[in-house]
Amino acid sequence: MIARIRGMIARLRRRGRHRTRAAALAAGMITLLALSVSGCGSTGLTAPSLQTSLSRTFANLYVLQQAEQGNPKPSAASLDSHASCQKGGTLDIPQDGSGVWLCQITYLVAGPGYPVIAKYNVDVQTDGCYAADGDGPASVNGSPTITGPHYAQLINPLSLIDGCFDTT
Amino acid sequence: MTLAAGPWPTFAERAVPRSRSGVLVVWRLELAKLLGLWRVRALALMCLAGPFVIVAGLNLQSATPGDTAFGQWVHTSGFAIPMVILGFGGQWLLPVGTAVVAGDIFSAEDHFGTWKTILTRSRSRGELFAGKFAAALTFATAGLVLLVITDLLAGLLAGTQPVVGLGGQLVPAGQAIVLVLASWASVLPPVLAFTALAIFTSVVSRNSVIGIGIPVVLTLVFQVVTLIALPAWGQQVLLSTPFQAWHGFWEQPAFVGPFCWGLVTCAAWFGICSAGAWLVFRRRTIGGAA
Amino acid sequence: MAEPRVIVEARGVTKWFGATTALDAVDCVVGPGVVHGLLGPNGAGKTTLLSALFGLILPDEGTLRLFGRSRGEAGPSWLDGVAGFVETPRFYPYLTGRRNLAVLAGLDGGDAAELIDEALERTGLAGAGRRKVRGYSLGMRQRLGLAAAMLRRPRLLILDEPANGMDPAGIRDLRTALRRLARDGVTVILSSHDMAQVEEICDSVTVLSRGQVAFAGRLDVMRTDAPDAVWRLRTSDDAAAAELSRSCAGVKAASHDDGGLVVHAAQDRLDDYVLRLGRDGVAVRGLELDTTPLEALFFQLTGEPRPGGQLPVSQLPRTKEVR
Repeated sequence: MIARIRGMIARLRRRGRHRTRAAALAAGMITLLALSVSGCGSTGLTAPSLQTSLSRTFANLYVLQQAEQGNPKPSAASLDSHASCQKGGTLDIPQDGSGVWLCQITYLVAGPGYPVIAKYNVDVQTDGCYAADGDGPASVNGSPTITGPHYAQLINPLSLIDGCFDTT
Repeated sequence: MTLAAGPWPTFAERAVPRSRSGVLVVWRLELAKLLGLWRVRALALMCLAGPFVIVAGLNLQSATPGDTAFGQWVHTSGFAIPMVILGFGGQWLLPVGTAVVAGDIFSAEDHFGTWKTILTRSRSRGELFAGKFAAALTFATAGLVLLVITDLLAGLLAGTQPVVGLGGQLVPAGQAIVLVLASWASVLPPVLAFTALAIFTSVVSRNSVIGIGIPVVLTLVFQVVTLIALPAWGQQVLLSTPFQAWHGFWEQPAFVGPFCWGLVTCAAWFGICSAGAWLVFRRRTIGGAA
Repeated sequence: MAEPRVIVEARGVTKWFGATTALDAVDCVVGPGVVHGLLGPNGAGKTTLLSALFGLILPDEGTLRLFGRSRGEAGPSWLDGVAGFVETPRFYPYLTGRRNLAVLAGLDGGDAAELIDEALERTGLAGAGRRKVRGYSLGMRQRLGLAAAMLRRPRLLILDEPANGMDPAGIRDLRTALRRLARDGVTVILSSHDMAQVEEICDSVTVLSRGQVAFAGRLDVMRTDAPDAVWRLRTSDDAAAAELSRSCAGVKAASHDDGGLVVHAAQDRLDDYVLRLGRDGVAVRGLELDTTPLEALFFQLTGEPRPGGQLPVSQLPRTKEVR
């Protein structure tokens, strides 16, 4: 009888220990979640971040493309490239998150100085990396290859653009 | 000779001097045991030969891996190859590779029933736990270092032309080497966190199949969950996210935000899993009741 | 360092596994140079208590001290000088016997590695040392366990059913070795469910029954408290023999399920009884000792049912009784 009472008391004490342990682990998990909060609710994948990254990357790659073709290299700054992106090609759905975005990059070609519009289908992933598939004009990003000096076939850097932007 | 022939060796009056730290002793013994396992040797072989096999395979065909960053540049520059391997490896090979060892190192003793044999020597539970944990971490780190070296070598052999970074910039060979090493180094924290996770499941389940299986399943789960449009903090909690943090290093201008937050995620997973494993192990009953 | 007077001191050790009480306020004190038996039927708590001595099981209540130190006070050196095994010794089956001992010696540190050859020879495993343990028989594994214990130069040897799986020659050898160890000042604790084995080798015993101590003390003290020995008797006329026993003082006879009689009597009373049988024309065809006095006491203490016919506990004659 007395043994049974002692048994119950010790079992309650042990359960108390277990509860403390479980509480500590739960607190740890909550801390983990709280620490990871870096923009509650939003995915960090918004039009402005995509646009900034894409236009900068496009400018650098355009310079590279011109260099590979043996043309005079413009400076990236003089291109003054701006991207305008819409998720799903329309403004009617939330402009936030991963998926297919349609982007138009407007840039100034050196020389005549008139704006050219390059179109891209951009597949944006949840980690902020994207793959932009060139959709015209043909001479800029339509073809997967370009011709370099001595008729060498090179990869067209503007045909498929890989890039990433910061979602944190 | 028989048991009864002559006196048994008996304890000296003075205490046996402890010449080395207990944890170090256990660590060395565990590493020696690991090196004898066939799967450790198989993994080492894979790390040594794998990258060269991949380079040879890529050379045999003109097509390029399309779905991954740097994929289109593998024929242009050798530096794209270690980055493509890291892209794939980070999702599967690295977490599974460390789980295969760490998910078994504790539960193997349960399988053989040898806990009572090694716990009744002059080593405390804490020393045994720390030594085995350290051996698993050592294996993971050594495997990663080996893979980095062979990857880089294979890439250098393939060609040292400048590679196109994720910001469209042309990265010359010297800077490319630094970025490749930095990218690979950035996955060490999540690999160690996965090691701690595998040890946790191994200790709690006392079963090697579960101990290895659960981290592997979780890898799959993370891959699936990451495709869902979660809020930013949801993505950050997943242990698969820090494996991709190196993307920022290759952008122009480079950004380290995801890497820093990834460190927090890894530290939290590592801390919770290690503490959980120790709490379960320290007062556990070894062997069944009479 | 002064030699502690008490080597093993367990006070009020209690352990529950869920709803089952494996140990209930068990006390056990063992001094130096003693061979102490831990007796009890299966499930009595022997292995649990030995596991607690090794720190494999942590008691819910009570204190355990080895060489005067508790586990908390001593830290990793708590088991210095303590060796042995609980249940069947287990090793790494993919390693050879020698390699297993090397791994354990490595864990111990010091010069344990130098003892491996001697340990293998003394336990008769010199030839088998280079075979993988997965090919060992139970007896070989027990002997490897003893070899592993030898490596630690024990001052306290704890063995759980060490005679399990050994042949009689091995058991005799073990007995001699343990007695010699005790003479050299080593304390030995061994568990068994067989009182006959324990009688021949131990100086003192603790008898456990259902997690509680039923008896603890020296064997010679136990003998004075013990009931009579139990004999198996076969005669030419069992019914008459049973009838006759009722008129003999200090002799109780009952028929055995397998035929013949079960007789509870001290040696001298039994002699009188046999002579009476002869005088009354009943021939004795067979007489053998079935249960020693201590075994009988053991069964009493643990409430174990004995095979065959038996008298209820209350009717067993005690040597001190005078009719």
